[in-house]
Amino acid sequence: MLLAGIVAQAGCYTGLGDRNGGGGADGGADGSDAGDAGDDAGVADELPAPSTRLYRLTHAQWENTVQDLFFLPEPTGLAQDFRTDPSVGGFVFDNNASTLEVDQTLWQSYQRAAVGVAEQVTSDPALLMAVLPPDAGDPAARTQQFVQEFGLRAYRRPLDATELAELVAVFESAPPLYEGVDPFTAGVRLTIETVLQSPHFLYRIETSAEAAGDMIPLGQYELAGRLSYFLWNSMPDEELFEAAADAALADVDSLVDQASRMLADPRARGVVEHFHDQVFEVERFQNAAPSPAFYPDAPANLGDLATEEHRRFIEDVVFERDGGIVELLTSNETFVNDEVARLYGIEGTFGAEFTKVTLDPEQRGGLLTQLGFLVANSTTANPDPIHRGVFVAKRLACLNIAAPPDGVPPLPPGDGRSNRQTVEDHTEQPGSSCVGCHSTIINPFGFPFENYDSVGAWRVEDNGFPVDPKTTVNLDGDSMPIGSAVELAQALAASPTVHSCYLEHWVEYAFGRPVAPEDEAFTTRVGELSQAGSMPVKELLVALVTSNAFRNRATEELQ
Amino acid sequence: MNKMLRRHVLKGIGGTTVALPFLEGLAPRSAKAAGELIPPFAIFFRQANGVACAQDTDLGAEPERFWPSAEGALTAETVAGRALEELASHLDRLLVVGGVNMQDFNYADGHARGALQLLTARGPTVEGVGGDSEAAGESIDHRIGRELNADGRDSLFLFAGMDGWLGGPCLSYRDAGQRRAAIRDPRQGYMGMMGIDEAQFGSLVARQQSVNDTVRGQMQKLMGRPQLSAADKQRLDLHFSSIRELENSLSCNFTNEQMMLLDGMSPGYESDDGDAVLEAIRAHMHVAALAVACGYTRSVAIQVSSGNDGSTRYRNLDSGELMENYHFLSHRRASHDNEGALIENGDLLHHYVDRQFAQTFSYLLDRLAEYDLPDGSNLLDCGVSVWCNDNGSGPAHSSRNVPFVIAGSAAGFLRQGTYLTLPDEINHARMLNTIGSAAGLRLTDGSNIDDFGDPSLPRSPLAELLA
Repeated sequence: MLLAGIVAQAGCYTGLGDRNGGGGADGGADGSDAGDAGDDAGVADELPAPSTRLYRLTHAQWENTVQDLFFLPEPTGLAQDFRTDPSVGGFVFDNNASTLEVDQTLWQSYQRAAVGVAEQVTSDPALLMAVLPPDAGDPAARTQQFVQEFGLRAYRRPLDATELAELVAVFESAPPLYEGVDPFTAGVRLTIETVLQSPHFLYRIETSAEAAGDMIPLGQYELAGRLSYFLWNSMPDEELFEAAADAALADVDSLVDQASRMLADPRARGVVEHFHDQVFEVERFQNAAPSPAFYPDAPANLGDLATEEHRRFIEDVVFERDGGIVELLTSNETFVNDEVARLYGIEGTFGAEFTKVTLDPEQRGGLLTQLGFLVANSTTANPDPIHRGVFVAKRLACLNIAAPPDGVPPLPPGDGRSNRQTVEDHTEQPGSSCVGCHSTIINPFGFPFENYDSVGAWRVEDNGFPVDPKTTVNLDGDSMPIGSAVELAQALAASPTVHSCYLEHWVEYAFGRPVAPEDEAFTTRVGELSQAGSMPVKELLVALVTSNAFRNRATEELQ
Repeated sequence: MNKMLRRHVLKGIGGTTVALPFLEGLAPRSAKAAGELIPPFAIFFRQANGVACAQDTDLGAEPERFWPSAEGALTAETVAGRALEELASHLDRLLVVGGVNMQDFNYADGHARGALQLLTARGPTVEGVGGDSEAAGESIDHRIGRELNADGRDSLFLFAGMDGWLGGPCLSYRDAGQRRAAIRDPRQGYMGMMGIDEAQFGSLVARQQSVNDTVRGQMQKLMGRPQLSAADKQRLDLHFSSIRELENSLSCNFTNEQMMLLDGMSPGYESDDGDAVLEAIRAHMHVAALAVACGYTRSVAIQVSSGNDGSTRYRNLDSGELMENYHFLSHRRASHDNEGALIENGDLLHHYVDRQFAQTFSYLLDRLAEYDLPDGSNLLDCGVSVWCNDNGSGPAHSSRNVPFVIAGSAAGFLRQGTYLTLPDEINHARMLNTIGSAAGLRLTDGSNIDDFGDPSLPRSPLAELLA
């Protein structure tokens, strides 16, 4: 078990629990262009988990896909009017396929958006030309070609003969429905309206159902869709479609080439940013509300500054430095402007623009010592070691910690004690319901950050006492003395558990479902590789898209 | 306006008429009683964090600032100094119910237990996971819509405020573990309801019919695939049933002036400024009133902010300044978890929040009351509007004595003008069965429902509340 090495206290660590994404399905027969079933040495025991066959596009994916489908210079902005999808308790990301449904409100929005896009495209000669085949003087042939080519790109797969005939009939029925529009343009417009409301556009659908051994290989176009929506959050491009048409994605080397090409594209940066925004709860950075009484010089836009630093750091580590989780957790290079530099205590001249700097390695190393994590997990007056510890334990070590009991009594006033002492006195009383979790997991992961106040600045004094960041953490089955937050970050970066946990997050994000027991073999194997070789995030993503789980479906779905 | 539409109109805001074509099959040529003209409905308006009421906390005794001073008839005297004072103009239409107790399901978090149980009367799908919880059943607003709305139309679920604890919108459930998406921008709620205007209607309807025919065919083929899981089929079913024909908006629309009003009130729907949030909620209330007036839905749930309303800063009614966020106030401490510094006069500041919710509920009642019916009654009388709360009080966030302030008799179904306290028992599910029955839900034998919520709970309607 991945988390077996973590010391668990009775009534505290609750294990993985029911994290199975479920979704077992019956069999079918639509895998005509299937690729390999995944026969790489060392990964034979890595099997896909049952999962949905219908991934409705997220609103961001809808927007990106429409932009790419029609070669628009910029997003339409229409998805801003789509109602927000509901969240799922305990799922970190915004793409849980089980909640990506189409209700009446969203259907109406899709309707309006389809009408709007069709009108926009057919009213602009340049845009219209981009989606039309050349006019060779035969409208019927041109219609056929348009429907075939546009349909392939919109459905992310070739149309079958029935679908082709259906859409051609739609095209040909259009002229009476548009007053003052020439018949061909009317056909294009109604076809676009129809296709943008089709389930084959709105969902990424996987119908493959032919088992090869103990897995169901995805069809080539299905695999291309998984790849592009994972790495670009959008539809495949021409080259990826061609690779699917040539069945090149069945070859792992070709798949690696495609993934590497796609990771070099700017669209991949948006995906990596969005992933880390959610893992590190960037939205919560905005909750930073240091009390003016304690922090009179705190920037009014502290949340914005922390967000900017975080995103620049992630992009720099992943794409400029080819770094991985080790660098994310330990690098003391970051980006500051004058306000952030002041909080970090950096001397020098800085302006409003962010520039790269190297921070004091004794004080700073990685995301957990940067502003965002620190200010998001502080009270208005003090650092919040409880929530800092909970975040590290749950999000970085993937520990499930039981929720606190209801009606927790309030933390008493400091009354001349340090912040740490107050928390210890309150949460580590022998025999209390708190002590199990707090003394062994939560507080040890939180106290090393006592050197950082509510605005993320370094401090050595706490209510008149010297800050005591020392603790002992239980990680990978070992008790480990820790002297500072930097040391804790280094210990986390060296932990196989943390690397596997990071992989678990990527698995959830890639598949749009909670991590399942079937994922453990992959996350453990690649987690160990990542830990041993400081694997760059980009390499890790390539490992993920070439995994059995990514290229196949589960045979349980056929039962 | 055509001949049919002229026959049945309601007076809307600003004296504007709202046509009622849906009554064509029901209404006689002469005016009838309200209950026969407008089928009953339920509008839920939810506040988080409990109310500021008499209680002893570890911070000391707090005075009564919410509940009336005496049971029985609601009068200006019995609500003097209470938050309910803000509803003074509607006292004769209120039924204030004390002693509503929720089941202490193991949500491991007072907010999750309150918010997720509030309209579902269900425990969690997984016990003990606190903020990661989901409710294990359908909510009453959804059931009312599912069973009573014309053509299977979804009930309205409206939200304003910031996401946060429990992921933002968390009141309305389609089924166990299946939250519904909320409409956040009031203008979107209105657009979804109104359909399209007459100028567009003729040209669009034939095209959309063509699109719908094609899409429905594609959906049916997909739904027939044997390898789909039950969950996939369920999602496709919802999608399929959501494909609707275009509806002519003449029956249900605001005037240009009303649209300008809605535009002006709506932008704060994603804000942590309490004034902006409540203004957007009031915009939602305009939409809700129009929606029930037009027969678009018989159920609306309006949620203000996240599971613990943890970022909204409401206004101090004394100083005029924005206060600390509401969740902090409800704990009387500058912390989401009872760790922070004491907030001076926290109970009074919580009371100010209660008053602003009361004012906002009053705004809803005013909007409903503006729709006059031919028999001299108004829309408010036809249905039931409920100001409810996840918790009994702050800072304890108790599951007991959870406030239910009900307005409108649902055409004579419920008592009015009274404050009463129920016997001490777990009776929250009974309350929801009462409200569901008031809104028109019935068992197959025609009797009031007693089957909503967790089967282990008492579920019979509360006779004390019936007229």
